[in-house]
Amino acid sequence: MSEYVALLDGGRREEPLGVRETAPGVYAVTLRGEVHVVDGYAPDAATLSLLLDTASRAATLDRRGASVRVRVGSAVLPLEILDARRLRTRRAPRPARPEGRVAVTAPLPGRIARVLARVGEAVSAGQALVVLEALQMENELRSPKDGTVVELHVQEGQSVEGNARLCAVE
Amino acid sequence: MSPKKPIQKLLVANRGEIAVRVLRTCREMGIATVAIYSDADRGALHVRSADEAVHIGPSPARESYLVAQRILDAARRTGADAIHPGYGFLSERADFARAVEAAGITFVGPRPESIDAMGVKTAARARMAAAGVPTVPGSAAPVADEAEARAVADRIGWPVMIKAAAGGGGKGMKRCERPGDLPALWQSARREAASAFGDDRLYLEKALDQARHVEIQIFADEDGNTIWLGERECSVQRRHQKVIEESPSCVVDDRLREGMGEVAVRAARAVGYRGAGTVELLVDASRGFYFLEMNTRLQVEHPVTELTTGLDLVRMQLEVAQGAQIPSQDQIVRRGHAIEARVYAEDPARGFLPSPGKITYLRVPGGPGVRDDSGIYEGWIVSPFYDPLLSKVVAWAPTRTQAIERLLRALGEYVVHGVATNVPYLAAALDHPAFRSGEYDTSFCARYAQELVRPADPRLEEAALLAAAIDAHRREREKAEALAARGGLERGPSSSTSAWARLGRARALRGGDA
Repeated sequence: MSEYVALLDGGRREEPLGVRETAPGVYAVTLRGEVHVVDGYAPDAATLSLLLDTASRAATLDRRGASVRVRVGSAVLPLEILDARRLRTRRAPRPARPEGRVAVTAPLPGRIARVLARVGEAVSAGQALVVLEALQMENELRSPKDGTVVELHVQEGQSVEGNARLCAVE
Repeated sequence: MSPKKPIQKLLVANRGEIAVRVLRTCREMGIATVAIYSDADRGALHVRSADEAVHIGPSPARESYLVAQRILDAARRTGADAIHPGYGFLSERADFARAVEAAGITFVGPRPESIDAMGVKTAARARMAAAGVPTVPGSAAPVADEAEARAVADRIGWPVMIKAAAGGGGKGMKRCERPGDLPALWQSARREAASAFGDDRLYLEKALDQARHVEIQIFADEDGNTIWLGERECSVQRRHQKVIEESPSCVVDDRLREGMGEVAVRAARAVGYRGAGTVELLVDASRGFYFLEMNTRLQVEHPVTELTTGLDLVRMQLEVAQGAQIPSQDQIVRRGHAIEARVYAEDPARGFLPSPGKITYLRVPGGPGVRDDSGIYEGWIVSPFYDPLLSKVVAWAPTRTQAIERLLRALGEYVVHGVATNVPYLAAALDHPAFRSGEYDTSFCARYAQELVRPADPRLEEAALLAAAIDAHRREREKAEALAARGGLERGPSSSTSAWARLGRARALRGGDA
């Protein structure tokens, strides 16, 4: 039996899962105290056709490391799936709110249209710090927390790469 | 009659889905084609869809798709005798249309004078008002600065829309609720307008509430025959970008449609229009309507009109460009209902940030009444340089309800991996009671923002979790088998026992406690 934990809602919700292959292509999956017998067939690397008794569900899985976006119908469920034992060992108590110095990074490459904060300035969570122009649209990047701007690495007009560290709030 | 010559070879001065769309009709008409591409687009679908392709420069549009000279050079080099501009880029630049015609090449679009007349939105509004077309209250000319904007807004009444004088497509457009917000929005709109159009002039219009954005497709030939092909309702907009378009509009009855069609034709005639054009109107709560602007090009959402009229608007554009006459108004028959959903590479869960990247898996919808106009393929890299529109999925059905169900079904079939898409958002919008009832206006996306970015249906969540668990298990076993196979040669065939034994061994190798 393999044991996994699915992290949902960005890690706020956990669902333990147990999987056992009882016959080739047939899986007994334990979820919320119930055992589901599932006939699982993978026609290609991204698709999993499930038969639960006669109920047919087609899921497609878009994986990036442990992150998976599972699509069923037009619904998409983003989750992280982790080996239960590895999760236990790596698990350290996570702070509910970001503590210490938190960086604001560019979510995608673009140009800094405006810098709205100064080093040393007190800011509140959700306050716009930098305006990034990408794909001809302006995107406001906001403070992840209440605090003080302690780093500022960009100026207006500058081009930045994706993931570039723009500023940080402590 | 016009002395125009048949088109032998057409260059499409665009990229992505619209280039592919135009090239398809050319293939059907037996017209040879030329594509253009930037560095980032060497692998683009439109390059493969054309008979010839010419590299026109680096990835940023201002160094490639916006450089008229390079496009004219490409046409000369390949001997193209016509240029189709698509939408966006140079499609509404009168100077480009003039340069094309000066080079002895047919511009598939309106006369440069018509583009000029409609291009500066304030001039167009004045011209329309003079032709007896109702317009939204606003500034008569571009507004010089914030102080003047403030004065104009005080006069016409808040809230106001800040718009780009050279604008279109929602770029540089901001809604301003109160005087305090004006400075920031004004500067932001200026920068967007400058970067999108190379022209940072702005003007103001009164923001109408509970208004619906309805536009009329018109068509005119060289001889001035002008017809209208019905309306498109485009009120489902997010940040002034259209998301879902449909025809007919729930708010337009036959009488209103005739009235709007007649006004649209009058607007087109007032500028000596030729070819395909769209007159955008705002319909208020009491079904009065006002001229917003005229787009002097083919619209993104033109398939909605094609499906309800059975016409190929690109073919009509090419025929008009070759001097043919358009059908008469009474030959235009509209039937059924069509709805288009714009699939973007953007992540609704992260504030709709664009999501460029490689498409690792793609499955497109099919079946009755479904059309997928896309410019992508599996393996294509959605670049951060251009608009992240991946595809337009359009459904046609005899009734509106059936068209909604059909488009929902089609979106359920549409799977894109590697980039985030707005497909779940589109489905939530179509399925929303306000959309289903037809009682929605341009505030739809903002008003129901929370409901439209909704968590997955709990019934589907269970299936998704089962799939994720089985997938994780299968991949773990495959990895273990691959590992065991690598070590297998040393141990000899006797060691090939069950998959479970191999898995256990592999886990032990990784330091696990299997």
